[in-house]
Amino acid sequence: MNVVWFLCLSAVLFCIGGAGVLIRRNPLVVLLCLELMLNAGNLALVAFSRMHGNGDGQIFALVVMVVAACEVVVGLGVIVGMYRNRIAEDVDAMSELRG
Amino acid sequence: MSLSIPLFIPLASGLLAMLLPRGAAWLARQLVLGGTFATLFYVVAMLVDFDSSAKGLQWVTRENWIETLGIHYSLGVDGLNLFLIAVTALLFTVCALWSALREWDRPRLYYFNLGLAETAVLGAFMAQDLALFVVFFDLMLVPFYFLIGVWGRGERVQATTKFVIYTLVGSLLMLAGAIALGVLSTPDGGQISFELADLQRRTLGHGTQVWIFLLFAAAFLVKAPAFPFHGWMPDTYRATPTPVLVLLSGILSKVGAYGFLRIVLPILPGASSTLQELMLVIAVVSILYGSVMAFSQDDARLVVGYSSIAQLGFITLGIFALDPKGAQGAVIQMVNHALVVAGLFFVIAVIAGRSRESESLERLGGLALRAPVLAALFLIVALATLAMPGSPNFVGEILILFGAFDEKIVYGLVASAGVALAAVYAIRLYQRTMHNRVGPDVEPGDLSWRLDMPAIAPVVLVLLALALYPQFVLHRTEATTTTKIAAAAAKSHQTPGPDRTASSAGAPDQSQK
Amino acid sequence: MILPLADVPAPHIDYKGLSPLIALVGGTVLVLMAALLRGRFVQRSLLPLLTLGTLGAAMGLSIWVWSPGDHRPIVESALEVDALALSLSLVFYVAGIATVLLAHRSAALSDAGAGEYYTLLLSSVTGMVLLAEAANLITLFVGIELLSIPLYVLCASQVRRRASLEAGLKYLVIGSVGSATLLYGLALIYGAAGTTSFAGIDRALGDTVSLSDPLLLTGIALACAGLAFKASVAPFHQWTPDVYQGAPTPVTAFMAVATKAAAFAIFLRLFDSALLSAQFQWAPALAALATITIVVGNVGAIAQDSLKRMLAWSGVAQAGYILAGVVVGTQKGLEATVFYLLVYLLMNVAAFAVVIARERVSEWGDGMRALEGLGRAAPWLAWPMTIAMLALAGFPATAGFIGKFYLIDAAVDGDYAWLGVVIVAGSMISLVYYLRVVAVMWMGPMEVRLPSLPGRPRTAKPVGGWSPEADAWAQPEVTLVAVACAAATMFFGIWPNPLFDLVADVGTSLASLVG
Repeated sequence: MNVVWFLCLSAVLFCIGGAGVLIRRNPLVVLLCLELMLNAGNLALVAFSRMHGNGDGQIFALVVMVVAACEVVVGLGVIVGMYRNRIAEDVDAMSELRG
Repeated sequence: MSLSIPLFIPLASGLLAMLLPRGAAWLARQLVLGGTFATLFYVVAMLVDFDSSAKGLQWVTRENWIETLGIHYSLGVDGLNLFLIAVTALLFTVCALWSALREWDRPRLYYFNLGLAETAVLGAFMAQDLALFVVFFDLMLVPFYFLIGVWGRGERVQATTKFVIYTLVGSLLMLAGAIALGVLSTPDGGQISFELADLQRRTLGHGTQVWIFLLFAAAFLVKAPAFPFHGWMPDTYRATPTPVLVLLSGILSKVGAYGFLRIVLPILPGASSTLQELMLVIAVVSILYGSVMAFSQDDARLVVGYSSIAQLGFITLGIFALDPKGAQGAVIQMVNHALVVAGLFFVIAVIAGRSRESESLERLGGLALRAPVLAALFLIVALATLAMPGSPNFVGEILILFGAFDEKIVYGLVASAGVALAAVYAIRLYQRTMHNRVGPDVEPGDLSWRLDMPAIAPVVLVLLALALYPQFVLHRTEATTTTKIAAAAAKSHQTPGPDRTASSAGAPDQSQK
Repeated sequence: MILPLADVPAPHIDYKGLSPLIALVGGTVLVLMAALLRGRFVQRSLLPLLTLGTLGAAMGLSIWVWSPGDHRPIVESALEVDALALSLSLVFYVAGIATVLLAHRSAALSDAGAGEYYTLLLSSVTGMVLLAEAANLITLFVGIELLSIPLYVLCASQVRRRASLEAGLKYLVIGSVGSATLLYGLALIYGAAGTTSFAGIDRALGDTVSLSDPLLLTGIALACAGLAFKASVAPFHQWTPDVYQGAPTPVTAFMAVATKAAAFAIFLRLFDSALLSAQFQWAPALAALATITIVVGNVGAIAQDSLKRMLAWSGVAQAGYILAGVVVGTQKGLEATVFYLLVYLLMNVAAFAVVIARERVSEWGDGMRALEGLGRAAPWLAWPMTIAMLALAGFPATAGFIGKFYLIDAAVDGDYAWLGVVIVAGSMISLVYYLRVVAVMWMGPMEVRLPSLPGRPRTAKPVGGWSPEADAWAQPEVTLVAVACAAATMFFGIWPNPLFDLVADVGTSLASLVG
């Protein structure tokens, strides 16, 4: 199979993730979409690794997985903190800081 | 003689004053006054010691400051800046004296700023390295920003912000121009240098020269101020305390004109001759506009302020006539104008002190009989302002006009009208304050020998001395001013055209290359 | 199966070169463990001392391993140490030390726990050092995440303050979008070049890969956008004011100087070393970004009343100035960039220290009015702030002037004279808001406004009493940081040659750059 198809899929995933971050309001879904973006990168890396026949991309992908896990953990932690402080779980309602 | 000593004495005394403990704040004025006096004595010694036959710089100090950027700590004195340095030292001493005789809020900060200002101005006059000049030129703004903003009156914060932004816009453009000049004139593989002598030797394409010229002109014309760039002047002049105003109007305005002679004409001769007409138009318009506005103002300070625009127009005219006589006249006129303006502002301050702080011509008048000494001093200064024959200003203006007539007769003719207008506004100012009916705000009383005389007397005395013996200045400035404009003058006598490489003819020390 | 694996040669590791990183990681673990001990002495004194000790040790080791002109791998094809990495590490360490001092009395410390706070700070510094030494796309990514993730937590560390949590989440979301974009860009660059090491990419670009390969260009564009998020370069800067304002101020100070320096470390590594052969492709785009950034940042700062927001916008503008040094892709540009980053550290830390000192005691918080009359009430805070503002505006006799001079010099020298003029134009706009701060301090109402008497609601509790001067002296470490940084700003403005010697060494560290 041609590497182009993998790339197309990963690009589609990346765009879906990006659109989700911009559009969705629930912070949990936003985190999910971030994961999607990172995994799109992963898919591209693995596909390229296969194409070039060296292992660099696969190692990179492993590292990215760890990083993605860390990001989710921190994100969930902050969200829990906000729930405790009864802040609305709607990113649009976050207006303490105007911007 | 090392130039670093007079340069840094004021700053050092100011720093010491700043660091005094709160209880010893009274000592601040003595310290800075001592510093300005020390500088003045040093400069007087320089005047005596000056070798007027020498062509080049004297008492040169030259060290590498920032080697990577090619910036040198390079100072020197020649006929061009000798008298400007002298008048700077004199006016700062006089202003420190005037200030010391009065009480100031936060004295330590005030005298620190005064010391810093003197060092910055002297540095700009002494610098022989373009980047160093830019440093001092911009540094000048900091103390004046504080001096106007903290000790001013009325809308002082607004006025000082306007002043600094206006002038710094010019300065920053000049900074860009200066860096471009240094970088672009560096030959391939050569070491970058901002030293004026090096820059003068190196050549630049004509197109580059023109845009760099415009950047420099913006800075110098704003500082002057010249006609379309004077927007900051009225507000700032109204808000500034008297001694600071004397410095602002008497000295700061000269740095720009001096910059033309020191930097622009020798280094950018091609552009100077191409844009000569533009500068002459600005000069003549400034003369007419300043004179007319000075005639119609009610605020005595603004009368002097607008007259300064006219006077700086004369100076610019003298410089860009690109004629030795004109340039020399410009230098003399810079010195004269500094003295005259100082005298006028001190007199106005004294008048205001006798009339409930009013500076409005409507509400003044009839002071001459009650204050004969003040009236006499005022008359001397006012006559100098209108360039009465026998006054030093007469010498300056006549030289400028000769220069203009020789080179560009049309501008000379128009500018002559300015001389006549000067008589009108100077006499009007004198009459409205001294003669006429007694104004509603005026209270009797002459100027105080203890408070006012120590500051005014030296200025008037020097003015009289120059009136009696102008050759003292002429003799010492002649050699240098001629060489400064030589390159640009040579250019303008050729048929003007966009020659790509600035020819090496002209600048005197280019022959070695 | 196992036997052939055993033959794989282990990468060469230079432990001497690695020692600063080892010290940092060791210190991080040590601080985390020590935090388990309860007791006021441990929490209030021992932990900050341990953190300072770690940073100091790492700094000492960095200077120890420094040999001029040196350029060698410390972990083969993953980490490299050179003058660029070492000099930027110094920025990170100094910023870290300043942050520890500034945070000493911060509410975030008691909210989040001192141990966690310092641990996160140290791991963020570790990430930055890793980043500066990266020689490979993978280490680059690890570094950037190691620096970012602790910062997300630190931003949210004032868990009782809504704004802090909100800032944390905003930073997390936007930072992660930036990371993901960067990752995707890096993946595409890897796809085009077939290797993740910078040296390999550089070789491939000069050799097998066409410079107009769409894969490569898309990759560069995405990586550029991702880094722009991190360096708060417009149009990816919108998060900056919000996050700067919401985060605890010591963390803001750290982000403002250290994160920015780290982001530019990658800009330099990636663009001026790995992708230099494609300079004509990316330089115009970066120059356009720099222009937009300078304009947007300066205009945005004008209307701000909160000092933190104002500094955030000014930071955006300054990022634009610094970017000019990257664009030209010359040795001089590299030197000017590093020089400005060093100077920027001093100016900004001084400003933030004063903001922190006032924020804790003034009822105006970080508003402009918190500085009113400071020139008379607390000159030891007013002078550093004045110097910092004048330096940021680029007045002479401060290091800011020399830094800007150098950047414009580099821009003109690299045939980007118009970018130099843009820097100058930006500085003009910036005068409006920098001078406003100075005016408020020195030219405000002549009488000092004391904080309102108890009874009226106050947002901050007095630290040292009711007079501003007592407040200033009640937090001597903050005043110390402010005065030290301001003094250094003045010193390097008058005698910048030590910094020039330092960056001259840096200039030679990226071998591919022309002199």
